[in-house]
Amino acid sequence: MSKQSPLHFHRMKDMPSTHLLGTGTPTCAGCGGLETLHTMYDILGDKTVFVNAAGCMTLLSVYPFTPFRGGWLYTSMASAPAGAQGVRDALDILLQKKKLSADENVEVVVITGDGTAYGMGMSATSGAMDRNLDFIYLCYDNEGYGNTGQQYSPATPHAARTSTSRGSHGYPGYKKDLFAIWAAHNPAYVATVIAAEPLDLAKKIEKIQAMSGPRMLISLAPCPTGWDYDPQLSVEIGRLAVQTGVWPLKEYSDGEVRHTKVPKQRKPVEEYLQLQGRFRHLFEPKRDAAGIAEIQSRINAYWDRVDAG
Amino acid sequence: MFRIRFHGRGGQGMKTASRILGTAFFNAGYEVQDAPRYGAERRGAPIFAYVRADRETINERGIIDRPDLVCVADDTLVGMPAAGVVQGMDAHTVLLINSHETAETWQKRLNTEARILILTATEDVEDRAELPYIGSRCAAAAAALTNVIERETLVAALTEELGHLPADIIAQNREIALRVFDEMAQHAGLVAPGSMPSANDYDSPDWIEMPFENAAISNLAIHAGATSVMVRTGLWRTMRPVINYPKCSGCAWICSTYCPDGAINVRADGFPEIDYDHCKGCLVCVAQCPPHAIESIAEHVAREQEAEASA
Repeated sequence: MSKQSPLHFHRMKDMPSTHLLGTGTPTCAGCGGLETLHTMYDILGDKTVFVNAAGCMTLLSVYPFTPFRGGWLYTSMASAPAGAQGVRDALDILLQKKKLSADENVEVVVITGDGTAYGMGMSATSGAMDRNLDFIYLCYDNEGYGNTGQQYSPATPHAARTSTSRGSHGYPGYKKDLFAIWAAHNPAYVATVIAAEPLDLAKKIEKIQAMSGPRMLISLAPCPTGWDYDPQLSVEIGRLAVQTGVWPLKEYSDGEVRHTKVPKQRKPVEEYLQLQGRFRHLFEPKRDAAGIAEIQSRINAYWDRVDAG
Repeated sequence: MFRIRFHGRGGQGMKTASRILGTAFFNAGYEVQDAPRYGAERRGAPIFAYVRADRETINERGIIDRPDLVCVADDTLVGMPAAGVVQGMDAHTVLLINSHETAETWQKRLNTEARILILTATEDVEDRAELPYIGSRCAAAAAALTNVIERETLVAALTEELGHLPADIIAQNREIALRVFDEMAQHAGLVAPGSMPSANDYDSPDWIEMPFENAAISNLAIHAGATSVMVRTGLWRTMRPVINYPKCSGCAWICSTYCPDGAINVRADGFPEIDYDHCKGCLVCVAQCPPHAIESIAEHVAREQEAEASA
């Protein structure tokens, strides 16, 4: 297992200056999910095998091209953690039989989108956590079925326009709290991350490298194509998701939830919403003050609960 | 049968162009196939969509390799082999290019027997991925050139296909499409339906002996890492980020970390360097650079400057 000595990420300057993930992938320009993945991969290193459920990131490895320096296994949407179980078991048996030396061991990393993580892959993930599978799970959450044209998923936020929520008020439902659902399984680790806060992301990756058991990460993945904004705003929008309190950065372990980057003065949520075409109907042709206020009040209620402890 | 190919970049609306034209043909009583050619390509990447229309049942399938009309939304694609614009063109083909340059220039440059027409590039946008109305303009031009689609039929198809957009946007598209339709009316009928190829027209393939091979040889496992670097995603770029080194403060960990593709490397001297073979032109680096030392210029302008510099 690649439980290397800690790298100590204290400041941005400590971020890796060489990139292990190959360029030339077919993800959209400005992809927030790829941004998380490349930062994660730079730190985790090449002693990894990725188990990838169908989704945008399936396109990473289109034969004969792969951005990875190690193995990659493709599974159906519902079964990536089951695939990871098989890979982990095979590695453990080889290790036990001394057909694989300890330094040849690799970390098994599941990578799926939100359609899988929040929806149809939930059962297999729950089972993997029940069995205390030793793996890392990265969900890149772009809040919809992005690879097929941004249909709504259980991760779609309230009021967002999707290709299946075209009405004047957008998606009527509410984003599922996957962090709480995963944490309720009491796995070794659960965290929310975002590429726009690389230091927070790097610290969490560094932390899970020294752990074993299920280590679950949910990365909000700003998506220029699905959220309808200029790709150069990807980092800006990600940062605003944190600063407005839309995307709380937090972690769970040993029965406790800790917030890792609390915005001192939360910005109004409309600063985040108005940059994205999927929320344009909240501002044009007429400002939907009640709709914006409802979104804001839900964010305030969340942070009030956090403040109350 | 009419066989029409639309070439553009992901995001320019070529799929919409094929849908508008396809619906117009259908409403004019034709059997129609219209489809974008889907790959893993994204915004800015060369893509194409095609339309087949016939009075008879269409049995032909797949990509059009003998086009009657090739419509190009972005002239920077013409010289790009990966875009396959000139594929299968012959003396029967009409090539319509959205360009600031003249038909004579293109005729000379391409040395082709195909008849070349220019769809005069009207809007001067810097970022070619943002060409407004180009899908509607291409569809309208194609409709006029076939001379089998009425003005009203085009308008109805356009309104149907753009129905999800706000009314003012549809109205603008309609107005611009009709202007192009009327402009192209002087060439009405220039695009004629191509004949049905008979089996004899196809070259019979060479007989190749394929001996049974060991599965490990014939179904190659990839043992090399990061082979994706062989894919030149730099071709997707319509805007190019350029580092102004005198202004660069050398905080390469910022741009190099934020670049989603990892296409900014840190040089031995600590300064960042953009890998233009793979930079997709998202411009996150331009937006994030603390001293604003990264500028963006239109890719076609950057290439012209490079060509001048090397001449």
